[in-house]
Amino acid sequence: MWRTVRIVWKKELTDHLRDRRTAAMIFLLSVAMGPLMLVGLTYFVSNIEEKADKKEFYLLGQEYAPQLVNFLQRQDVKLKLPAGDFRELIKSGKHDPVLVIPKDFTQKFLEGRAEVEMIYDDTRSDGGNVSINAMRRQLSAFNAEVGAQRLVARGVSPLLMRAVDINETNLGTVAQKAAMLLFIIPMMALVVGVTGCTAVAIDMTAGERERGSLEPLLMNPVTREALVLGKWLAVTCYGLAVVGLILLGFFLTLTFAPMPKLAALVSLSPAQYAGFAVTLASFAPAIGSLQMLIAIYGRTFKEAQTYVSYLVMLVAMVPSITMFAQLKDATWQLFVPMLAQQMVMTRILRGETVGMLHYALPLAINLAVMAVAVVLISQLLKKERIIFARS
Amino acid sequence: MIEVRELRKHFGAVTAVDGVSFTARDGAVTGLLGPNGAGKTTTIRMIGTLVAIESGSVAIDGHDCTRDAQAARAATGLLTDARGLYTRMTARENIRYYADLRGVAAERFGATLARLAEWLDMGEILDRRVDGFSQGERMKVAIARALIHEPANVILDEPTNGLDVMTTRALRELIKRLRSEGRCVLFSSHIMQEVAALCDEIVIVAHGKVSAQGSAEQLLAQSGKSTLEDAFVALAGIEGEHGEKL
Repeated sequence: MWRTVRIVWKKELTDHLRDRRTAAMIFLLSVAMGPLMLVGLTYFVSNIEEKADKKEFYLLGQEYAPQLVNFLQRQDVKLKLPAGDFRELIKSGKHDPVLVIPKDFTQKFLEGRAEVEMIYDDTRSDGGNVSINAMRRQLSAFNAEVGAQRLVARGVSPLLMRAVDINETNLGTVAQKAAMLLFIIPMMALVVGVTGCTAVAIDMTAGERERGSLEPLLMNPVTREALVLGKWLAVTCYGLAVVGLILLGFFLTLTFAPMPKLAALVSLSPAQYAGFAVTLASFAPAIGSLQMLIAIYGRTFKEAQTYVSYLVMLVAMVPSITMFAQLKDATWQLFVPMLAQQMVMTRILRGETVGMLHYALPLAINLAVMAVAVVLISQLLKKERIIFARS
Repeated sequence: MIEVRELRKHFGAVTAVDGVSFTARDGAVTGLLGPNGAGKTTTIRMIGTLVAIESGSVAIDGHDCTRDAQAARAATGLLTDARGLYTRMTARENIRYYADLRGVAAERFGATLARLAEWLDMGEILDRRVDGFSQGERMKVAIARALIHEPANVILDEPTNGLDVMTTRALRELIKRLRSEGRCVLFSSHIMQEVAALCDEIVIVAHGKVSAQGSAEQLLAQSGKSTLEDAFVALAGIEGEHGEKL
């Protein structure tokens, strides 16, 4: 029995290691993709922060509003002249918002009914909104200041203007803020854990049927269980390798990427890496086994791919479901593969307590999934419609 | 020796095999001859333990194919119509995989493979990856794979399908050698000449039943015809215009 398992396992490992295209796909997906997204996201975030900090306004008609210009200069805002065709440029997303001051600003200002025009395009989500908000904030501050001065001039306390004083206390820690950015790590790790061994799982099952190699294989004097266990062990090895590669990819990015912003936001401790590894180590093989079980129904690689893609879609939807449903962490989630891993990994990232239960329960579920898959596949390999139905 | 007794199999409403009985002796070549759809492949699959036997029995060297399937498989080398190979592996690795699964020791593997490679004239392709092999080359690898454990019983299902003349000749020579070594060879075909040229015993199967069996001479005498082709058509009960092109 175990001799057979070892032989099948060894054969499947060498066979699939030679599949260059699949190997390249796995490598790209697991090692390169996650870190690339991480770097991209960091760049995006720091870009937004820069725009929020940047005090640069485009102002048309500065000469008509010396009061406003004076205020802005006191706030260290750098005033710039917009390009001539700024409306077109804003529309195409190449220009920041512009504040237009009409000729009669000063006269109307003295009469207490001055107007300015803010020109922007809020359909662009590339950080332009941040500039719009910064401009609004400055204009509100200007209003507040002028308003206060006018009240004082009439002998009224400016405090009457404020019913409530707002004191802000943000309890979010830096680690939690980083976790919001880093949701990408569990997401990518889970997606790659799901897709990583798909090709191998399909090739070992539907691939055998398509090639016509299943029938002669089953003629050997070995049990179906031993054959399936050998194949399962091979898928498990690939799953573990993929998990290792993903984590290595993140480790290399976080350690060596020349992005000080990233390093400041995120640093994962060895314990956190270990937690991820433990969580993913049983997840990837469990999904691999499920994919084998589904793929055995496919007569060809392509047919099986279609079936498996339903599972992949289902699994890929889980993170967005938790996001939209605003699920709070609860013990029942530990029973649901994918949901459990998502929750535990997020907790690890946020530096929240992760107990034995968080590791043991999903592990038990994953082991059960694998056992059921192996038993069912062994049974299916006794069915004539699986052995002979070829396209 | 392969003993088939009253074998039956239904697929839904279709009776594929309907009481087939015959014995394939050691040191002889037994041919299962019949038109396409006669039940040859299903019979062979039941002998090969790939299809569950509905009623009746098969014994290979005394091992019952239902109760003692592993022993029956171990005593048999079967070439089915599915001859899939692993294309990323070399011919030698493909054969080696089956030898390992069957527990063939390394020295015996080397010696047997060398002999099979010489017989099948496949020495040059042994260490090439199967990807890109011709039909004939694939066939040779599949045959070597089925015979690597030197089984006492060899079953070949339509082995010459789609093969060129040279490979067919090599295969015919191989079958003769296996017979001279005292092995039991059972092969199915719908090609008259092939069966006539090789078989000591011919079992004609039509509509899931054995319609006649015996040596070529016996079949001729039984049918009262002067050629084997006429005898086959008469014994298989096929109408002339619907019959196989023989």
